[in-house]
Amino acid sequence: MRIRVEYSVGSDLRFLSNLEMMNLMARALRRARIPFALSEGFNPHIRLSMGTVLPVGLWGKREYFDLELMQEISPDMFINNMNQVLPQAMRINKCIAITDDTPTLMKSINCACYSFILSSSPTQLQEWKDNLLKQEELLVKSRGKKKNVDKNLRQGILKIEMNNQGDFAIIDIWVTVGEPLNVRYDELRDLLVQTGINEQDILDIYRSGNYIMVNDRYYTPLEKVK
Amino acid sequence: MKARLFREILPQVSKPVRYAGGEVNIIKKDWDKAQAKMVFAFPDVYEVGMSHIGGKILYGLVNEKSNHLMERSFAPWPDMEEVMRRENIPLYSLESFRPLRDFDVIGFSLQYELSITNILNMLDLSGIPAWSKDRGEEYPLVTAGGPVAFNPEPFAEFFDAFLIGDGEEIILKFLDCVYNNRSLAKDELLKQLARIEGVYVPSLYRVEYKDNGTIKSMSPVVKEAPAKVTRQVVEDLDQSYYPDKPILPYMSIVHDRAVLEVMRGCQRSCRFCHAGMVYRPVREKSLETLKKQAAAQLASTGYEEISLASLSTLDYSGVKSLVKDLVKEYGPLGTGVSLPSLRVDAFSIDLANEVQKVRKTTLTLAPEAGTQRLRDVINKNVTEEQLIQAVEAAFKSGWLAVKLYFMIGLPTETEADLDGILDLLAKVKAIGDKYSPRPVEVRASLASFVPKAHTPFQWYPQNSIEELDKKRHYMMRKKRRRIKLSFHDSQTSYLEGVIARGDRRLALAIFKAWQKGCKFDGWSEYFHFDRWMEAFRECGIDPDFYTCRQRDYEEIFPWDFIETGIDKEYLIEENERAKKGISTPDCRQDGCRDCGVCMTLGVDLQIKEGMECE
Repeated sequence: MRIRVEYSVGSDLRFLSNLEMMNLMARALRRARIPFALSEGFNPHIRLSMGTVLPVGLWGKREYFDLELMQEISPDMFINNMNQVLPQAMRINKCIAITDDTPTLMKSINCACYSFILSSSPTQLQEWKDNLLKQEELLVKSRGKKKNVDKNLRQGILKIEMNNQGDFAIIDIWVTVGEPLNVRYDELRDLLVQTGINEQDILDIYRSGNYIMVNDRYYTPLEKVK
Repeated sequence: MKARLFREILPQVSKPVRYAGGEVNIIKKDWDKAQAKMVFAFPDVYEVGMSHIGGKILYGLVNEKSNHLMERSFAPWPDMEEVMRRENIPLYSLESFRPLRDFDVIGFSLQYELSITNILNMLDLSGIPAWSKDRGEEYPLVTAGGPVAFNPEPFAEFFDAFLIGDGEEIILKFLDCVYNNRSLAKDELLKQLARIEGVYVPSLYRVEYKDNGTIKSMSPVVKEAPAKVTRQVVEDLDQSYYPDKPILPYMSIVHDRAVLEVMRGCQRSCRFCHAGMVYRPVREKSLETLKKQAAAQLASTGYEEISLASLSTLDYSGVKSLVKDLVKEYGPLGTGVSLPSLRVDAFSIDLANEVQKVRKTTLTLAPEAGTQRLRDVINKNVTEEQLIQAVEAAFKSGWLAVKLYFMIGLPTETEADLDGILDLLAKVKAIGDKYSPRPVEVRASLASFVPKAHTPFQWYPQNSIEELDKKRHYMMRKKRRRIKLSFHDSQTSYLEGVIARGDRRLALAIFKAWQKGCKFDGWSEYFHFDRWMEAFRECGIDPDFYTCRQRDYEEIFPWDFIETGIDKEYLIEENERAKKGISTPDCRQDGCRDCGVCMTLGVDLQIKEGMECE
């Protein structure tokens, strides 16, 4: 049996690296006595694939992993048993059974949404957005492997939504990830600062979701399993 | 505090998860309801400190079995320290994010001589004066324990009290006393603490010196302080506390696995070995206890590996059944068993094969010396034949690399002994190449011998830095190709030697070294030998006096007032036997050697699973 799981990572766990996140999950599976499947070979490991890698420093609302099981288990029971042993800052929210031929998360996720919480609500926010999306070129210094090379983010920015909450505002930015253009959250932050948003006003950044985008429609990895 | 750390501070530093707390199985007690409040402070980074079993035992014991409270703190890495100093953030505990100054007691773990500069640095980061005499009523009691505390004297003027021996035997009595006497002034409280067995309050003793610099006398100045401080020991480890729910770090730490302490103590009597002397006698746990503890720890942590720890795990009387049962029980769940140290014999290799159904990486063995003569001198009861058998068995069963541990600078060592190491390595390499389909890797790690307090070699001079360097050059010149030798840093070893047998007069030099920026001295990238030598010079101290001097049997040592249970006559006899090259067998097989431990401390050798004949 194969399952796909959606979980959240709270602010207290924002400094964990990908390896640490994986160890956390594998050890929680053992504590919860989940009947996970093991790989063959001399050094067997749990057949767990963390489909999304949360950047160090961010928290995340909807992250995903796939897991292979040796025997059937109801998704509700999985959620229950796991949430009993996980740290408070991490919760399993959803779980569904998927078929063996479901494409892996790594292969199918091509879009992520980063959310920026701003302390005050700049009045010109709408203008800022309109202006941004009008540009042909949005250059920042790359923070990925090729450091400090000019990188044009424009094609990678899919959609921007703004949510005014009175005292503060949230900007949600949908970007492409993986190939051909991987937009990182720290490059987005640089872009915000370059285009007139005060760095001190950015209170927090988190990833609100990971998506599979097909023909301009956004599906969550739980919706798009074929 | 926590919100500010998470938002402004931690994003600026490397490995922020070191400083974030909140791990699985953490115990955060209600501050206002707790009686005495203690912070366990480890003078190294998180991933080193969290790998230490002693701390896990004390943390669980205090928090689960008493109304006191214990939290944790570690030395911040220099990048974090810089931010903390710049932003005025005091050193804090990982449970409640409170400054160390808020606690009643700070307990430092002394695992290594050179960690003292980190201790001074941690106190400074807490706004707490380093010298005990400068700490008024408003400051916490600063205490320490651990193996280095068996010669606490070089640090005497920094600490209010030392806890000597197995911590789980003293800690609750100590905290009870602190709490029950909370209305007393500090100097009165310290007198009450000095009455607890195993507690040493250095300010209550006076030391006088002879003209030649050695000690004339050391005696208590108040009636509450005993003339001798007796090491405390757990009589029966089956009855003592061991954590079923150790903290599970998020970060990958040095020993990232469940740890089962199978026994305490080792009676092989290697004459250089400090731990072998100060943790006597051997006290084993029963198989039943161990299996229960394994089940509990794995259930509460989800670890994928369990390690059988002790000074010499292959000597545990039930080791074979234990390994077999654990592999059978947990193997199918993908949980492995590991043995941290192997004995040099074929039995060890068989057992290692049993647990290592995985990749056979590097096999590690410790013959310690290169010739039979020198192995007899140090009482490492291993023959060349045993070593050859072990190595043959290993290469035949598929190992591809062997690492061998030796020491240089041992008493009576000559060039022939150094040649012996090189010959042995060449033999091992030849055996490997014979049995293995591809060339095997043979590496040797060469530590410098540091004479330690309370051992039969405590009278010997340590090799000077020049002598050690000469030996290193000699061996590097003569070694065969494709055998790798790595040497411990001779300057670091020298400094360890000075502190290991030092006295109270070293304190000012240690303080000055710290003022000159020394910290993380155990990490080569931060070790500044020249600063240490400058500090000694400024204090008019000749460090050679402490470590490069032959001492005589009449000399009173700074650590003589610590009663480890071992008679000085026994240490002298062992030293005399060493000079003649006569080995001494393990008292488990060949009867009592009269070291004095069992009698003095009122304990017994405890072998729980009978003698296995191997």
